[in-house]
Amino acid sequence: MIFDVNAYLGHFAFRQLRHNTPEGLLRLMDSKGIERAAVSSASAITYRNCQSGNEELFAAVKPHRDRLIPLAVINPFYAGWRDDLEICHQQFGMQGLRLYPKWHNYALADPCAEELISAAVERNLPVSIPFRVEDYRQRSWLVDVPDIRPAEVVDLVKKHPKGRFLLLNAAGLSGTPLGRPGELPANYVIEISRASAVLGNEIGQLLAALGPDRLVFGSGMPFTYPDPALLKLEVLDAPEQVKEQVRRGNAAGLFGDPT
Amino acid sequence: MEPAKKLSRRSLLKTSAVAAGAILAGGPAAAGPKPSGGAAIVIDCHAHLHHHGNAKYAEKDRQLIEAADKLGIHRLCCSILTPARPATADGFRACNRWLAEAAARFSDRVWGYCYVNPECGREAVDEIRRCVDERGFIGVKLYNERVCTDPVVAPVVETAIELGVPILHHAGHAHYPLPGQPNISDGGHLAELGRRYPEARLICAHVGGGGDWEWTIKALRHASNVYLDTSGSVTDEGMIEMAAEILGVDRLLFGCDMSMTAGVGKIRAARLDAESKRNILGGNMNRLLATRNKS
Repeated sequence: MIFDVNAYLGHFAFRQLRHNTPEGLLRLMDSKGIERAAVSSASAITYRNCQSGNEELFAAVKPHRDRLIPLAVINPFYAGWRDDLEICHQQFGMQGLRLYPKWHNYALADPCAEELISAAVERNLPVSIPFRVEDYRQRSWLVDVPDIRPAEVVDLVKKHPKGRFLLLNAAGLSGTPLGRPGELPANYVIEISRASAVLGNEIGQLLAALGPDRLVFGSGMPFTYPDPALLKLEVLDAPEQVKEQVRRGNAAGLFGDPT
Repeated sequence: MEPAKKLSRRSLLKTSAVAAGAILAGGPAAAGPKPSGGAAIVIDCHAHLHHHGNAKYAEKDRQLIEAADKLGIHRLCCSILTPARPATADGFRACNRWLAEAAARFSDRVWGYCYVNPECGREAVDEIRRCVDERGFIGVKLYNERVCTDPVVAPVVETAIELGVPILHHAGHAHYPLPGQPNISDGGHLAELGRRYPEARLICAHVGGGGDWEWTIKALRHASNVYLDTSGSVTDEGMIEMAAEILGVDRLLFGCDMSMTAGVGKIRAARLDAESKRNILGGNMNRLLATRNKS
């Protein structure tokens, strides 16, 4: 079984996505042997009121909650976010958050973000942070959204030792405090889709530095093909037990495992 | 130094006369110099070995071969670039000499592109002739010293045509200036160059590492002598299918440009039939290289 912590439904403003309905995504997952996926609304990245994306997501995954785990996109810089969080958690039963500080015009160190993270900790919701949505070289002429810098996340995980963070679409973390042992609280996991498994073998370096319980599988689908991330696990030079933790076990620990 | 073995049309076609590869079946496969078990040849059309100014170049080159082994890649079409550009003639000559040595060391795994800076004029042309005629290099690599439609590039293009070898051209199209690359070419420039030189065989580099890939694919639609290299770290879903639909499968060349699992994974994932994938993975490149003129 494979658990993908980095998946999406809905539309993205700057590129057509395929396999972006529940049925389409599930067909894609079936074809790749992916049993469960944590999904959020791609539309919510560019909706001004991202709660509309959460509502769409809630309706879309309703018949598929055994396989699609909905995560709420919350913008703490927008009116009513506390209500949105309450609705997403209590009414919609969403099991975590995804944050887009660069797209939503706030900094992770801003008081509003601090309050949101504290609220997530209180509700025991894992918080995933995609370092980017797409490669910066292909960004639209309409927007100029930078990637999240590792230093911003270093400060975040330090300030919230009781938080549970998933770092998505990140690369090059092995050269930062996030990839070194003992420098930071062990309150975050790193998703592997942009880390290498050969040549520099960043995944191997992270496993050695942080341990096998700190990496999780994610693909970025349907923004990206799932196969590159799957291939990383296949060629990774690691014991099968470790691969199984990355493939499923660590994510199940974060989101719960129906099996 | 022993010059790298020259390729012949016969040897190229011999290695291509085989069937489906492990990449198509999914999962990693051990590769060596030759496909086995009826597998198709897999040729990475865009790879790099390392400049000898890098103290770890030998180890890094070896890691590339190991990665190719793990991923089922039989041949790596490599260049070595100077770390600082624009390259001097002495600089690119050293790179090409090291590449010839590596091609001999990694016998049957590494094929060479001759890297030159077209600003160097006669020295660039002479270097291309030396590398292709004497060292058995398979093509020319141009980077971003000049936009490919600049007249200063013309002698390089004409030499490649005369020798019957392709030019792999660094390319990208972003909607913001790419830092440090004021003279980068894009798919539109390469289409124009292809129009000016219908006999040329051009490869537009790394659709997955050159900015807005939808723009690039559309810009190349009518440029029938421009191939598209699928390499780059970007693995956006639908990229390969769109390229196949608009350009045709026969104009796509599998590559990684050192993003190894990205390169292999996107071909494995693409919703194309097995024959199309075989052509992208190696068949098309084999046919392209078989057009080489013999001196």
